[in-house]
Amino acid sequence: MTAPAAAPLSDKTASRVASVEELRIHFDTKAGRLHAVDGVSFDIFDGESLGLVGETGCGKSVTARSFLRLIPVPPGTYAGGRIHFWSKEARQTGGSPVDLLQVPASQMRDIRGNRIAMIFQDPGKALNPALSIREQVAEVFYQHRSEDLLDGWNGTPPRPIRRAAGQRSGKLEWLAFKVPPLRSPARRLRKRVDDLVGDALAETQIPNPRKIMTSYPHELSGGMKQRVMIAQALACNPDLLIADEPTTALDVTIQARIMELIRELQLRHQTSVLYISHDLSLVRRICDRIAVMYAGRIAEIGQTRHVFHDPLHPYTRGLLAAIPSLAHQRGELAVIDGTVPELIDPQPACRFHTRCSYATDLCGRLDPPLVARPGLRPVACHGYASPDELGVAADQLPRLDRDAP
Amino acid sequence: MTNLRDDPVGAATRAEERPVITLRGVKKYFPVREGVLQQIVGHVRAVDGVSFEIRQGQTLGLVGESGCGKTTLGRCIAGLTDTTGGGIYFRLSEADRMFLDEMDAVGQDRQTSEQQAKVESIERAHRIDRLKGETWRTYRRNCQFVFQDAFSSLNPRHLVKDIVGRPLRVYKEASGTDLTERVVELLESVGLGRQHLYRYPHQFSGGQRQRISIARALALDPEFIVLDEPTSALDVSVQSQILNLLHKLQQDRGLTYLFITHDLGVVRLMSDEIVVMYVGEVMERAGAQELFASPRHPYTEALLAANPDLLEGDEEAEMRGLEGTVPDPARPPRGCKFHTRCPVATPRCGWEVDDAVAWLSDNSTILEGLGGVERSSDFESVLRFAEPGTAAEAESLLASAAIPDAMRAALVELDQDGPELRIRFEEVDRVRLEDVDVGHMTSCILHTSQADLDSRP
Repeated sequence: MTAPAAAPLSDKTASRVASVEELRIHFDTKAGRLHAVDGVSFDIFDGESLGLVGETGCGKSVTARSFLRLIPVPPGTYAGGRIHFWSKEARQTGGSPVDLLQVPASQMRDIRGNRIAMIFQDPGKALNPALSIREQVAEVFYQHRSEDLLDGWNGTPPRPIRRAAGQRSGKLEWLAFKVPPLRSPARRLRKRVDDLVGDALAETQIPNPRKIMTSYPHELSGGMKQRVMIAQALACNPDLLIADEPTTALDVTIQARIMELIRELQLRHQTSVLYISHDLSLVRRICDRIAVMYAGRIAEIGQTRHVFHDPLHPYTRGLLAAIPSLAHQRGELAVIDGTVPELIDPQPACRFHTRCSYATDLCGRLDPPLVARPGLRPVACHGYASPDELGVAADQLPRLDRDAP
Repeated sequence: MTNLRDDPVGAATRAEERPVITLRGVKKYFPVREGVLQQIVGHVRAVDGVSFEIRQGQTLGLVGESGCGKTTLGRCIAGLTDTTGGGIYFRLSEADRMFLDEMDAVGQDRQTSEQQAKVESIERAHRIDRLKGETWRTYRRNCQFVFQDAFSSLNPRHLVKDIVGRPLRVYKEASGTDLTERVVELLESVGLGRQHLYRYPHQFSGGQRQRISIARALALDPEFIVLDEPTSALDVSVQSQILNLLHKLQQDRGLTYLFITHDLGVVRLMSDEIVVMYVGEVMERAGAQELFASPRHPYTEALLAANPDLLEGDEEAEMRGLEGTVPDPARPPRGCKFHTRCPVATPRCGWEVDDAVAWLSDNSTILEGLGGVERSSDFESVLRFAEPGTAAEAESLLASAAIPDAMRAALVELDQDGPELRIRFEEVDRVRLEDVDVGHMTSCILHTSQADLDSRP
């Protein structure tokens, strides 16, 4: 299952879908400036699934939401960095990427739900309780596929129909659709939308999509609602799908079904997926690569298999050891002492040094950058630096015991 | 406490321990009210006949998906809600339990007056809803509760000192400086300290709040604690701290735990014995190691398959989920409650009219044509359609390969007569929990002797 679906990822020339560079997102609070995301960089390659894991408050959801510029400003500020995004055309023609943090709002509307789609954590809250499933899924087609809706029309469709296909109908125009000259084209449009919505729902293995289309979110179970969300997200065949803890609100048996479904659809559509989760064992099953986040920074990033078998960063090691597994005796779970540090106006220091058992003085005054060193994947820890690189004596560096994580 | 992880069966040591809590056929129904007069039209069977015992110094893990009744059962045991039927007994001896079981088998009418008097005296002394005065107070102080959400279970307007000291004050255990010292001791035992005495709950992180909850539960030095998903709101690194703390307290104080959770990894680590619940019933019950090594119920297998990290060996194993949804507990399925989603269901698993209607309603033309369902029992009914054509379509659907094989085999009568379609399923009894091994019980008929399985497909 962990077999990468995409081009070989070690090959750095593999085409990228998105590239995050030094992303900084801050929030103004009464206590000061909260550095929720503080210099995060990573790439998402074509067709791969990247897992972004971390504990509550580490900035993983904020990172994901910034792709679609969903952070409320104020109190939030995009304090720096770029998110480059290559659409399918740009990748094929070798075109230049767009910076998602800079594009004008109108262009952002074109990208949202069309080129980049998102599945939210709680399907109960993310779906509109006042609209039927049909209306909610159809909106994606009206917004982004209005030309498709008018496909196969003999000649130019009447202007009110064109407006209806783009959800730009005037206030009383719906009345005109009830009477002869426009009635049959309006029906035809409606049928076309029904077909597309039905197909989108059927793709997520919803039994009897026609029946589901007329129901409202409260009539569906959690797993079914999440399927509707997935149908909505994949309706336009996006280049990048962002899944923000899509199964946290679901039971384990349903969770497994939804994960299978996302994986299957990803392979079929060749979509790249950015997968946000706090559940390491889940991420391990479905992601090609994972990035571990801690306190607004990426601690380490690499192929899933490598990260799990040989975690480099002390935080990753602690996190993996804290999951109850077969190897543990009762009362002997590994523990990471202390709590996540305050992110308000942080000092230039390793974010993990207060909880790290290997930390030295150096970690308390110098921030380790996320760099790939020869033979190692990128990791933000001084333990892997050479003394010359930092210009300090060798005994000042933390000594990580590489064999016994 | 004996370490049962090294004891393959575990039953030998377990049987010697005294039961602290005994459940005998516990039921909890919630009424469903409808209409202007709020008449009761049915019951949600949250807990439907659950029996097990929790022994001194042991941890019993209660697992199941959301809505399976595990929290309700925990609340019943702690005396926070009353039960609809059955009994929860505190410190019921093995002999008394056997006597009560025997008397139930005899039936109330045929008991002699001495026997009735004995039943009465046992119930008065041990059954928690019949405890009065001092014995009830003894039960309440010996049975404490740690809630799932440490954010809403601590009063935001009270200081930690008042929260943790409240039980001591109520039971007149301590006052004044003595009380403060006792509270400090309790806080220290959960890894907090004197500096936290005069703070409010909002000043603590999730893990620390859960520690305060645990300190409060420990205040009266109870024998038994119900832990209702104590770590599900916490991050992994904090969860491991709390689990280690709970284990240490159990060792130091000889506590008995009922550990309610949906996380199988946690429950395996913490429990000696595990009870798997589904729609208000116990599906399987076994020693922790035994359950994971050889599950004897398809539902347990499905839970394990959904999280393959828990199984030994192949770490690349695929994760498998279940189709369908948890049935409505107001109209639970007949026979085995899991048969609607079971991958290995047999014709004897309790297929009924509702299952047929559920399959038919996936087809929109049939659903629209279906006028009414007249049922003479859960297993037999007449479906009335608007047109004979739809009825014929429904008949062919029920006879086709789209329907599970087991369900088709259970369908003993399928007659179309004009717009009417008569269907009748084989009637089956409710499945019972049966012993399949020492200390291992399951309700799956594939593993027990409850049904003649010659008719298996």
